[in-house]
Amino acid sequence: MGLGARWWNRAARSLGAVSGASLLLLSVAGLTGRLSAQSAPPKKVGAALDRVFGPGTRADSLSLDGTIVLRMFRENELLGYAQVRNVKGKDQPITYLVATDTALQLKDIDILVYREPYGGEVAYEPWRRQFRGKSPADSLVVDRQIRGISGATISVNAVTAGVRAALASFARWREDGRL
Amino acid sequence: MATRTAPPLALLLLASFPVTGLAQEAVEATTIGGYGEVQYSNHSGKGTPGEVNLERFVVYLAHAFSDRISLRSELEIEDARLENGSASGEVALEQAYLDYRLVDAVTLRTGLILVPLGILNEIHEPPTFNGVARPDFDHDVLPTTWRELGAGVVGHLPGVSVVSVRLYLLNGLRADGFTAEEGIRGGRQQGQKATFANPSFTGRLEYGRPGLRLGAAFWYGGTAGQDSVLGTGAFDAPLAVVAADGRLDVGAFQFRGEFATIHVGDAQAINSRYGSAVGSRIAGGFLEGAVNLLRPIAPASRQTLMLFLRHERFDTHAAVPPGTAQDPALARRITTFGLSYKPLWNVVFKGDYQLRRNRAAQGQDDVLALGMGYQF
Repeated sequence: MGLGARWWNRAARSLGAVSGASLLLLSVAGLTGRLSAQSAPPKKVGAALDRVFGPGTRADSLSLDGTIVLRMFRENELLGYAQVRNVKGKDQPITYLVATDTALQLKDIDILVYREPYGGEVAYEPWRRQFRGKSPADSLVVDRQIRGISGATISVNAVTAGVRAALASFARWREDGRL
Repeated sequence: MATRTAPPLALLLLASFPVTGLAQEAVEATTIGGYGEVQYSNHSGKGTPGEVNLERFVVYLAHAFSDRISLRSELEIEDARLENGSASGEVALEQAYLDYRLVDAVTLRTGLILVPLGILNEIHEPPTFNGVARPDFDHDVLPTTWRELGAGVVGHLPGVSVVSVRLYLLNGLRADGFTAEEGIRGGRQQGQKATFANPSFTGRLEYGRPGLRLGAAFWYGGTAGQDSVLGTGAFDAPLAVVAADGRLDVGAFQFRGEFATIHVGDAQAINSRYGSAVGSRIAGGFLEGAVNLLRPIAPASRQTLMLFLRHERFDTHAAVPPGTAQDPALARRITTFGLSYKPLWNVVFKGDYQLRRNRAAQGQDDVLALGMGYQF
C-alpha cells in the first residue's frame, strides 16, 4: 500500500470511527480544563484514546476541581485515566492529552492541537515517547529526564511542565480518595 | 480497525452534558513578548575605545483571531533611538504574518516572512545562541535578519511526521544593492515598497528529534529588478542559495553548524552595470562546540554556563566574474570563544573574545565583547 493510500485510509478511519469514547467526548471537549476556549476536535481525542488504550474501550468522566477526568474501561475492567489540557506555548495554547494506567504510570501523551509557528516537533513520536512509564513520583526536568529539541525550547518546556502538572493532579486526587 | 458502535452508556452520558460543549467557540487572545540585547565591544589597537550599544529592542505582538487564524509580528528598534540624519538606528518590522491553520499538517502563511535559511535567520533571540554578536557568517553570507513579503505553506509531510517543511513565494532581491564585502545583504527589500519584478522561491526541510535538528534549505530568484541592462524577465540575473545546518546536543555538550553557498548568476553584468565588485560565488560556514560547565558541578541545576568555541570561514569572493579582481581580504576566518551564563533559559549574560583574520592579513584585529540578552 502506498503512502498516499495509507494516509487516506487513516483519514477515512478517523472519520468513520465515532466510537463510544469519541461520542462522549463530543460533549466533554467543550468542558475540558479551565482554558476551555481552545479545545480539541472530539474525533481527534477519540483517535488518541484509541491509539493509547486500544480499540473497543468506553469512557465515563469525573469532574474534579473543574477538570474533566476520563476513566477508560474495556468491558468492565478499568484501564486507566486521561485528561485533555492546555498549556501556553509562546503565544498560543498547546492542547495535549495525558493518559495513565490505573497505577498512574504514564501510558502516553499526545499533542492534540499545536498552534505555534515553530517547535511542532513536540508532537512527534521520538520526543513524546520519553514520557512513557513515568509516574507522579518521577521528576521530569528538561535536559535531564526529558531531552529537549533545539529550536523548540518553549514548546518542550511548556509541554513538560504541563505533563508534570497533570501527573501531580492525578496523584493529588488519588491521595484524597477521589480517583 | 477502530470502527465500532457506541455503547448505550456513552449515549446516556452524552445526553446529560450541555449541548454548548459541541461548539468550539473562538475566543480572541493577544500576547505580548519580546527580546533584546545590550552589547559592549572593544577592538584591539590604538584609538579604538570600547563601545556599548543597545543593539536591539524587539516587541513581539501576536493575536489569535480564532483557533485557526493568527497574526504574529515583531517590531524592532536597533541602536536605541532614531533621529533625522543620524547614521545608525532603525525602526523596522522584522516579521508580520498571518497564519491559517488549515489542518494539522498544513498551515498557510502570508505577510512579511523570515527566509528559512540557516539557523539564526529564523531563531535569533539572544539566549538561543552563544557569543555576544551573531556570527559574521549570518551577516555577510546569509543576510540575517532576511525577511520579505509573500505567501507560502508550512507543515509536515503526512505519514513522515518527523520532517517539517516550509515553502514560500516571496519578492526577490535587487542586484543594485549587492557588494563585495557583504554579498547579497544590500539587495534585501525588507517589506518596503518591494519590487515584485523578480519573485523568489525559498524552502526548507527540517528533521527534528530529541537532541538533534537538521535543516536543508534553498532560495532561488531573479535579481534584475527590470533593469534594462540586466534584463526584464522574472528570473533574469538569477541567484541561487543552498544552505544546510545542524544542531546536536549530547549530555553537557552542544554542537552546531551552518553552511551556505550562493551562486550569483550574471555577476559580471551586475558589476559592470552598478560599478560593484560582487563575487560570482559566495560561500562558507561555521562550526561551534560548547560544554555546560555547571553540569558536573551542579547536575540538578537548571542554570547553564556554556564555554564555547566557534570557527567561521567564509569568502564573499569565493569566485569572481571576469573583470573583477579577487580580494583576499574577503576570505575571512573568525574564531570566537567565551562564556554564556543563563540563570534562566530565557536570560543570558555573555562574554567572549574574537580573533578576526583574513587571507590578506589586512585590517585584522581582536575584539573583546560583553553582553546581556533576554526573551519572553
